[in-house]
Amino acid sequence: MGRHSKRAGALSILFMGLGQLYNRQIIKGCILAVAEALYIIMLLPYTLSCIKGLVTLGDTPQRMVNGKIIQGDHSIFMMVYGIIAIIVLFLFVVLYIINVRDAFKVGKNRDEKKKVNSYKDSLRNLSEKGFVYLLLTPAGVFTLFLTVVPLAFGVMIAFTNYSSPNHLPPRSLVDWVGFQNFINLFQIPSLGKTFAGIARWTLIWAFLSTFTTFFVGLVFAVIINANKIVLKKFWRSIFILPWAVPGFISILIMRNMFNGQFGPINKYLTSIGIGAVPWLAEPFWAQTTCILVNLWLGFPYYMAMMSGVLTGIPRDLYEAASIEGANARQQFFQITLPMVLFATAPLVINGFAYNFNNFTLIYLLTNGNPANNQYFYAGHTDILLSWLYKLTLEQNQYHMAAVVSIIIFVFITIISAFNYMRTRSFKEEDMVQ
Amino acid sequence: MLRRNIIELRNLTKSYNDTVVVDAINLLIRENEFITLLGPSGCGKTTTLRMIGGFEDPNDGDIFFEGTRINNVPPYKRNINTVFQKYALFTHMNVYENIAFGLRIKKVPNDEMKKRVQRMLKLVDLEGFEKRHVDSLSGGQQQRVAIARALVNEPKVLLLDEPLGALDLKLRKEMQIELMDMQKNVGITFIYVTHDQEEALTMSDTVVVMNNGVIQQVGSPVDIYNEPENRFVADFIGESNILEGIMHEDFLVSFSGRKFRCVDKGFSKDEPVDVVIRPEDIDVTSPEDADLQGVVSSVVFKGVHYEMLVESGDFEYMIQSTDMQPVGAGIGLKFGPEDIHVMKRGSDNEK
Ligand SMILES: Nc1ncnc2c1ncn2[C@@H]1O[C@H](COP(=O)(O)OP(=O)(O)OP(=O)(O)O)[C@@H](O)[C@H]1O
Ligand SMILES: [Mg+2]
Repeated sequence: MGRHSKRAGALSILFMGLGQLYNRQIIKGCILAVAEALYIIMLLPYTLSCIKGLVTLGDTPQRMVNGKIIQGDHSIFMMVYGIIAIIVLFLFVVLYIINVRDAFKVGKNRDEKKKVNSYKDSLRNLSEKGFVYLLLTPAGVFTLFLTVVPLAFGVMIAFTNYSSPNHLPPRSLVDWVGFQNFINLFQIPSLGKTFAGIARWTLIWAFLSTFTTFFVGLVFAVIINANKIVLKKFWRSIFILPWAVPGFISILIMRNMFNGQFGPINKYLTSIGIGAVPWLAEPFWAQTTCILVNLWLGFPYYMAMMSGVLTGIPRDLYEAASIEGANARQQFFQITLPMVLFATAPLVINGFAYNFNNFTLIYLLTNGNPANNQYFYAGHTDILLSWLYKLTLEQNQYHMAAVVSIIIFVFITIISAFNYMRTRSFKEEDMVQ
Repeated sequence: MLRRNIIELRNLTKSYNDTVVVDAINLLIRENEFITLLGPSGCGKTTTLRMIGGFEDPNDGDIFFEGTRINNVPPYKRNINTVFQKYALFTHMNVYENIAFGLRIKKVPNDEMKKRVQRMLKLVDLEGFEKRHVDSLSGGQQQRVAIARALVNEPKVLLLDEPLGALDLKLRKEMQIELMDMQKNVGITFIYVTHDQEEALTMSDTVVVMNNGVIQQVGSPVDIYNEPENRFVADFIGESNILEGIMHEDFLVSFSGRKFRCVDKGFSKDEPVDVVIRPEDIDVTSPEDADLQGVVSSVVFKGVHYEMLVESGDFEYMIQSTDMQPVGAGIGLKFGPEDIHVMKRGSDNEK
């Protein structure tokens, strides 16, 4: 290592821009030095206090003095400021590292008696080679603040006791609790039971709702595509209708249709002597109703999609199979089903992830009810996401909600990653033209 | 060699929406024959084949298989198998499963199935490809898998609808020879469809020329080429000069304003006829000792020979010759009685 590179590197570690000045890159050096000076004078004290706030989450609670409220620390705001301060500090550190590397590199060029770039050269270099990075920078900064901040915030909440009634700013302070919430989720009986119960129903729900819509869609597609069926377009349009109506309207209509006392379905069942069915009132029936309504809303999508796949299967495949003596059932199971599955498997997995989080349907149709008094603020048809909603917006149990959302996040990420890799391999195999 | 008839078509007719596509055709197909349906696009070859295979119901007429009427027999009971133009392989199965598909359906025991599939793989020269995914095979290899799948059931008749249509020229030529060998080896009847007249003439024992759903001529490749029955066949098979003429008496025909001796007979006196002379049968001579005189109007080099157009009277003769004559040269054309082929007037057989 040569003399210049060592010295320039060391100087720029000491203070930003010094190395560049040593390398006689005056303008660049000055800009960098001013940048560090500005940061130290204007932002550093504030940054440090914000980070300290993130660590302590405040220590003066709100007080009443002579009947007047004196504002204390707001733990949640402090947490957000702390996160932002860390990001700003991070950006500064990145700039610092770039600065050191630059000084070192220019110094090395000097050691090797190469030309040192003038300020103009550097600018040109930056606009030529660094152009893409320049373009990406605004988007990168936006992502940092609009995605990373909320994400970090959400994750951090899971490690605090931010909840009603004792830890709700501005009235009271919030504290770090480490992994206590995660431990509680599995150890406190009511919480553990709720989580296990809801998680189980969520999985059953996601599986059954996807499975039923997929197979009913497939059966309808096969029937409509059969040669003997006339008025294909008519049937297709009829069955696609439920899909064309905005979902929440259909769901609310369904909620009224299935109403235990006044709903037309029960009225009709009573009138023909079968008697009322507790569609939404009893746990098993409520869960069944959810799946039925979802089936009604969801199968047209699969039907439409699989009609396309079916027409894409060449006719001579079936003829080839029929020469070999395959009957209609064998043709369905050995040709139609595998071909359709290969073509639609990624969509099925997506559908599973979608239904796993199908908040709209559950919340609008049953609102999670019927209530389960052994559960922690949840009912028999609540899925994780609707429980999450109740925990945050109705019960202010932000800490537990954060824990649950981390678990959902991890689960969905795994499914998506799996799906992504599968999809790529499907493309390579090129199953159906 | 006298062979038994295996398939007979009688008055076989098919129409779609009142358009007659196959028009009352009659055809005898013998055992172990390599028979080719040849004709321009849309003439009804595929439709005929599909009726034999059992995928289309004829509107009229009968199909006999070894003397039994099979109009209402479903495809899988016909002892006939098909190789489809686009292979129709099951893309979600590997090579072994594709070939074994029918055997599995028929619940053939595992070890016998294995033996039969192996034998087929050997026949089509694809040993060691069992586990390969069919999508990973080349076009020619996929074609062979399709043939193996069709032959593993040991059918008596194999239908092949333009099986080489998707292959490039070189592979086509190779596969033509392999198919012919295969047919000899397994000793079954091949009914082959193509619109490539060269392919038909190369491979077949018998060629059936079709046009507009009507059979124009049935015969050996040599017969079809040398003795076309009508203008359509003469025109469709190879290059030819087709002239209008008058048959004065047996062995005497006139055209281009001259009388010629010929080897045809059996026409009525002074019957209008069509006369075919193949371009390679015309010799170029000096104008003095020739039958006809003409002027060269164009010359194209075709590799083995030159193709020249020669104007003589109001007809333009096509001549193939290894000697080039310059454009504008006055030359003589000469041909013998056996080079003149006389046909009944009318462009083709119509109903
Ligand atoms: N399912 C059908 N419905 C209506 N018309 C049809 C149908 N199948 C075939 N045709 C018509 O019948 C005629 C003959 O078709 P065919 O497929 O037998 O021709 P081909 O001789 O096999 O031609 P190519 O060499 O192009 O394959 C065509 O005019 C075609 O449009
Ligand atoms: Mg065809």
